Amino acid sequence: MLAIDTATAQVSVAFGDQGAVLGEVRLAGGRRHAEQLAPAIDYLRRELDIGLGHLAAIAVGTGPGLFTGLRVGVTTAKVMAQALRIPVVGIPSLDLVAYPLRHGDRMIVAVLDARRREVFAARYRPVPGGVQRVSDYAVHAPAELVADLSAEPDLEPHGLLLAGDGVARFPEEFGALEHAELAGSEFGAPSVGALVALATARAEREEFELPAELRPLYLRRSDAEIAWGDRAAAG
Amino acid sequence: MTLVLGIETSCDETAAAVVEDGRSVLSSVVSSQIDLHARFGGVVPEVASRAHVELITPVVAEALVEAGVELTDLDAVAACHGPGLAGALLVGVSAAKALALAADLPYVGVNHLEAHLHAAWLAEPDLAPPLAVLIVSGGHTMTVAMEAHGRYRVIGQTVDDAAGEAFDKVARHLGLGYPGGPVIDRLARDGDATAVRFPRAMPGEADFSFAGLKTAVVNHHRKHPEAPVADVAASFQEAVVDQLVAKLLAAADDAGAPVLAIGGGVAANSRLRAKVAAAAEATGRGVFLPPPELCTDNGAMIAATAWWRLRSDGPTPLDAGADPNLRLG
Ligand SMILES: [Zn+2]
Repeated sequence: MLAIDTATAQVSVAFGDQGAVLGEVRLAGGRRHAEQLAPAIDYLRRELDIGLGHLAAIAVGTGPGLFTGLRVGVTTAKVMAQALRIPVVGIPSLDLVAYPLRHGDRMIVAVLDARRREVFAARYRPVPGGVQRVSDYAVHAPAELVADLSAEPDLEPHGLLLAGDGVARFPEEFGALEHAELAGSEFGAPSVGALVALATARAEREEFELPAELRPLYLRRSDAEIAWGDRAAAG
Repeated sequence: MTLVLGIETSCDETAAAVVEDGRSVLSSVVSSQIDLHARFGGVVPEVASRAHVELITPVVAEALVEAGVELTDLDAVAACHGPGLAGALLVGVSAAKALALAADLPYVGVNHLEAHLHAAWLAEPDLAPPLAVLIVSGGHTMTVAMEAHGRYRVIGQTVDDAAGEAFDKVARHLGLGYPGGPVIDRLARDGDATAVRFPRAMPGEADFSFAGLKTAVVNHHRKHPEAPVADVAASFQEAVVDQLVAKLLAAADDAGAPVLAIGGGVAANSRLRAKVAAAAEATGRGVFLPPPELCTDNGAMIAATAWWRLRSDGPTPLDAGADPNLRLG
């Protein structure tokens, strides 16, 4: 299995076999997804001596995240899957932030930078073997998310664990949250190891998507659609 | 025999085509997003980028099926890597690289403007440079001396709006809808092109300008709301076409080019085609007017250009991105 995530400024690629990572490339922070993704796949397949013709499936993080990065990752995954006539599995990138933190009893809040001073976020509860999402995927102003989390009555007694590049982006807002720990920067980007694990489980259940139907999780309408909708609503 | 798959996603068409030896079109699939953008009165970049992601796999699959070839039969995969809308370009570039990786083929990044120049060879395989070419669309308006394949000199370009943009803006102002080019072309056939004498901008210069013309049409419409719309449309179109033809002739003089050619979406305009043909005849030049489907954005022109590029420069490295402001030459 080939796994790709480009929802943040980082480009992440891994090859996996039966749920385990064989090799992984992470290129941090460049926001140069279109330049870096194909060479990263090419490098890794050569190092691991994997013919792409032997792939059984392609997994991709579908966001939410940076629109440009998501389009590069999702397009690459779906076009390659169609060319190789193999299935594609899309997993939300927020799930890939939460999954590596499943060994604990705190509620996990995955937070990714959404630009324009907003974040994408979802909440998860650790369950045996993984995490269970207990909120919608949503876009928030950081202060609004902090207020929501503070008002949550069932946070006690274990508190919260916050992870993702959106947390580091707004240290003041999230640092003010009580009963919360901020996970380290190594948990800033969606994990392709998690993607291999989660997508393998999905593939075993034969929960595939057709390449043509795979699309990024945008969560936001385009500006033009928002403006047009407002105009239409105003009559 | 060399088969190239070309992908074009620089603006609002998702297109793919298979071309043999840079000249023979085996398939050309174009999925236009006009309906998606019509309600906004113009191309919206984020809407275009999202649509490309959805359309890219069916369009590529259809291009291969129509050509009757498998991915493994191809010799290269190409995509337009600029100029164009940043987010839109990345979809085509990512798709082409994914196919190149999957089938172990060379990738070729193609300049959109160079592709418009090469579209002529798809309809006229024996055409020989030098040519003077007018590239005119919603995004571009320029004259180019094409001295050889890969050797170009931009002679004139617009200092403000592209001609296609002027058509859209005037059509919107006259309440004719979007896109403006085809509707004005149609309406102008029943209008008097001499009814209003709109300005022909920047006479004697190589560059184009359409902003003043657009303002003149808007002012005229305000002052004379009773004037027949067909007459205003025809008079506006005539002013655009006269300017385009004058600059093309000037470019041909500058380049010493014995043949005129046109490309880009506005090159489908019937009045422009008639007047370019007449101007060529009057000045003793040859003329080549590609069929409209090769003038508007398509994958075949990308595949054709990639074939020429492969011979002169070889493949493009996989770490090359897209350049929204890529220039010609
Ligand atoms: Zn074009």
